[in-house]
Amino acid sequence: MVLDQDVLTVLKLLMIGESNVGKSSILLRFTEDEFHENMQSTVGMDYRTKQVTIDGNTVKLAIWVSHFNDTAGQERFRTLTPSYYRDGQGAILVYDVTDRVTFMKLETWLNELNTYCNKTDIIKMVVGNKIDLPNREVSTEEGLQFARRHQTLYIESSAKTADGIKCCFEELVQKIIQTPGLWDRHTLINSYGNGNMGGVRHRGQRGIQLADDAQLHNRPSNCYCSLI
Amino acid sequence: MEDVLEEVVSSDDLKFGDKVFIYLHCSTEFMQLYLCNSRGYKFERIYNEQLRSSVITQKAQFEYAWCLVRSKYPADIRKGIMLLEDLYCNHNDSEKRDCLYYLAIGNARIKEYTKALNYVRSFLQVEPGNQQVQHLETLIKKKMEKEGLYGMAIAGGVIIGIASILGLSFAMVKRN
Repeated sequence: MVLDQDVLTVLKLLMIGESNVGKSSILLRFTEDEFHENMQSTVGMDYRTKQVTIDGNTVKLAIWVSHFNDTAGQERFRTLTPSYYRDGQGAILVYDVTDRVTFMKLETWLNELNTYCNKTDIIKMVVGNKIDLPNREVSTEEGLQFARRHQTLYIESSAKTADGIKCCFEELVQKIIQTPGLWDRHTLINSYGNGNMGGVRHRGQRGIQLADDAQLHNRPSNCYCSLI
Repeated sequence: MEDVLEEVVSSDDLKFGDKVFIYLHCSTEFMQLYLCNSRGYKFERIYNEQLRSSVITQKAQFEYAWCLVRSKYPADIRKGIMLLEDLYCNHNDSEKRDCLYYLAIGNARIKEYTKALNYVRSFLQVEPGNQQVQHLETLIKKKMEKEGLYGMAIAGGVIIGIASILGLSFAMVKRN
C-alpha cells in the first residue's frame, strides 16, 4: 500500500469516442482486470481511480468515461460537455478497428476536445480497440498516420485479451509527467487545503512552475509558500 | 474522491446549473403566460411550442439535478433527488436509467442506503449485467457495512457505560 503522501500527483484522464467502441471495457480491464462480453452503455458518467507507479513515481489516476460524450448521449447532454473536459490532463480517444465510421469520427472528437479542454498542452492518445476481432476495417498504418498528423500517441489494444491496455495508460502517464506545467505536485495541492476538486486548484497558477525537478531537489524543504 | 459516491461537483457547475435552470424555468413560465395571453393562436402551434419548451426544461432539470446530487451539501442533494424523482415519473425508458442511477447515488450520499439499494435493484432488474451499477451496489454495501460497524461500536460503548453505572450504583446500594 502506498501512503497518500507518497503520491506525486492526481491526474485526470478522459476517455472519448463513439458509443460501443469499448471505452468502459478498456477502463474495466485497466482498473479491475476484468472483461465482460455484454457491457451495457454507460449511465451518465463513470469514474474510477487507480494508483500506478511509473518510473518510480506513484500517481493516482482519476479516469472518466461518459455516456454524455458519445453520440448516443451527446445531443441530450450537450451543456454538460465543458464540465467533463475541464482540467483533463490526458485524453484517450478510442475507436473500433472493425468499424471505420468510429475511426472517421475521431476528427470530430479531437475538435471537441480542442474546443472544450482548458489545458492547451493536454496529452492525447489514440487507441484502436478490438484488435482481437477478425473483421478488421482500419489498418495499423492508417491509425498511425492519423496519430502522426495530429501529433498524438498511438496504440492498438484489446480489452478482451488485455493487449496494449496497460501500455496505453503507462505511456500516457509517462508523457504527462514529462510535460512540466501540465500537472501540480500533490503536496502543493494539500498545502492549499483544497484537495477535493480538480477544478479550483489549478487556476491562476499557470505562471508559477514549481514542478521543475532540478529546482525542487536543490531546495532544502518542501515548503512552497515563499514563492507564492 | 475515491469513487463515484465521493466525487464532488465543481462549484462553477453548480452555479452555472442554477442559473440555466432558473433562466429556463422562468422563460417557460413566461412562455406559458405569453401563450395564455395570446388566444387566437392556432392550437397546434401552441402545443408544439409548449412541447418544445417542456423538452428543454426536462433537459435542464436533469442537468441541474445531476449537479445537485453531486454537491457536498445534503440540502442540495435532497433537492436534486426531488428533481430526479419528478423526471423519473415523466421520462421515457432510456432516460429513466439515468435518473435511477443518479437517484441511487444521491440517496447513498445522504446515507439513505436502503432507498439507494432499492433504486440499484430496480435498475438491475432491467439490465442485470450492468457492471457500472453492480459496482455502485458494492460501493453502497461497503459504506453501509463500515457505518453499521461504527454504529455498533457506539452502541456497544453506550451499553458498557450504562452497565458500569448500574454496577457501580448496585455496589453503592449494597455497601449502604
